[in-house]
Amino acid sequence: MTKKPFSKDILHLENIDEVIDGICEKLREDVYKRFRRYGGVIGISGGIDSSVTLAIATKAFGSDKLLGIMLPETDSSPESEELARELANKFGVKSIVENISGALEGFGCYRRRDEAVASVIPEYNPVTDKMKVVIPEEFVNKNLPPVHYVSVTFKDGTEKKVRLPMKEYLQIVAASNFKQRCRANMLYYHAEALNYAVLGTPNKHEVQQGFFVKYGDGAADVMPIGNLFKTQVYQIARHLGVPEAIINRTPTTDTYSAEQTQEEFFYQMPFDKMDLLWYGWENDYSPEEVAPVMEMTPDEVSKIFKNFARKQKTTDYLRTPPLHDYNIMEGSLV
Amino acid sequence: MKDQIRNFIAETTFNDPSIIKDDTLIFDEGIFDSMGLLGLINFLESEFNVVAEDSDLQEENFGSVERIVAFVLRKQAA
Repeated sequence: MTKKPFSKDILHLENIDEVIDGICEKLREDVYKRFRRYGGVIGISGGIDSSVTLAIATKAFGSDKLLGIMLPETDSSPESEELARELANKFGVKSIVENISGALEGFGCYRRRDEAVASVIPEYNPVTDKMKVVIPEEFVNKNLPPVHYVSVTFKDGTEKKVRLPMKEYLQIVAASNFKQRCRANMLYYHAEALNYAVLGTPNKHEVQQGFFVKYGDGAADVMPIGNLFKTQVYQIARHLGVPEAIINRTPTTDTYSAEQTQEEFFYQMPFDKMDLLWYGWENDYSPEEVAPVMEMTPDEVSKIFKNFARKQKTTDYLRTPPLHDYNIMEGSLV
Repeated sequence: MKDQIRNFIAETTFNDPSIIKDDTLIFDEGIFDSMGLLGLINFLESEFNVVAEDSDLQEENFGSVERIVAFVLRKQAA
């Protein structure tokens, strides 16, 4: 099959109803027939991905076969819960709130994270100051894997940013990941109590670039939008009537106490640009074909392609389920 | 120094040192990732007393064994 010439609208879904119907059909096949579950639970955050997952699932199963669960904690933006509630109401899906702050306190999530932050920024006071982990934008053009920095905004509004040594970086990430894993536990509690499946919400970039927590938000039975680019997720959101306030909201991590966009934390470029570049890379378009469309130089495109390849390779561990093909009995049995 | 650095990279990536040539591009080849880079920064500080500043984090300084050696020597001479 000949490839379409690379263009800015190459990812636009012309046959959007067919695409949605295809996802719905597969969802019913997987959840009802393969897993024999009666419906689905979805963690709803007021973000675009969980909202589109809920909108598609409503079309697939009907609103009475779904439960939307809001899972706020101490650092969550109050706006997340409000928008999630608005979404559930709009689609007629029953929703409940499960606050996981107590569980996180019990695990020592906040204490362990703050201890690591304070070891690099001793003046950090978690009661009054806000923190986040960032990757400086310049790393996207460096041809080096990204290095993370912790940024603290003090109560007087001043900011301090320090590069994280390995030990502290790992401790902050490990502690913060309690959040996604607690949420997964709660989702599976409700799913099992109802004999439902957990409908995961990661999009294609999150899955392929490893922007999820293994056994956290990566824990799910199906991921209906796991093969959709972000601009396609937005296109479906508009088509299915996801509230405008959700569509217009900048995607955030909603993980650290300071506000932080996903672009700032992980992707380092806007979604529309990343969608096209990823598509180009994944489908073997050359940097020379992609560069003029993106108004970039072939060298810039080439560096980003290398970054994509590196990200996909280094996050393979996250996508790999437990390995159990240890055939120790092979050859030893008569 | 060159062998120390090569052995560090090989040990932390579970590779045979022989596959890491002086000019092997350790990030491009997928030998090293973010964790590798952070570990290397720690290693250079503890072994050679060389502190990598934010502005030093460039492919020209960290992309291969020979570039790392040149970077360490430059920093030590400064």
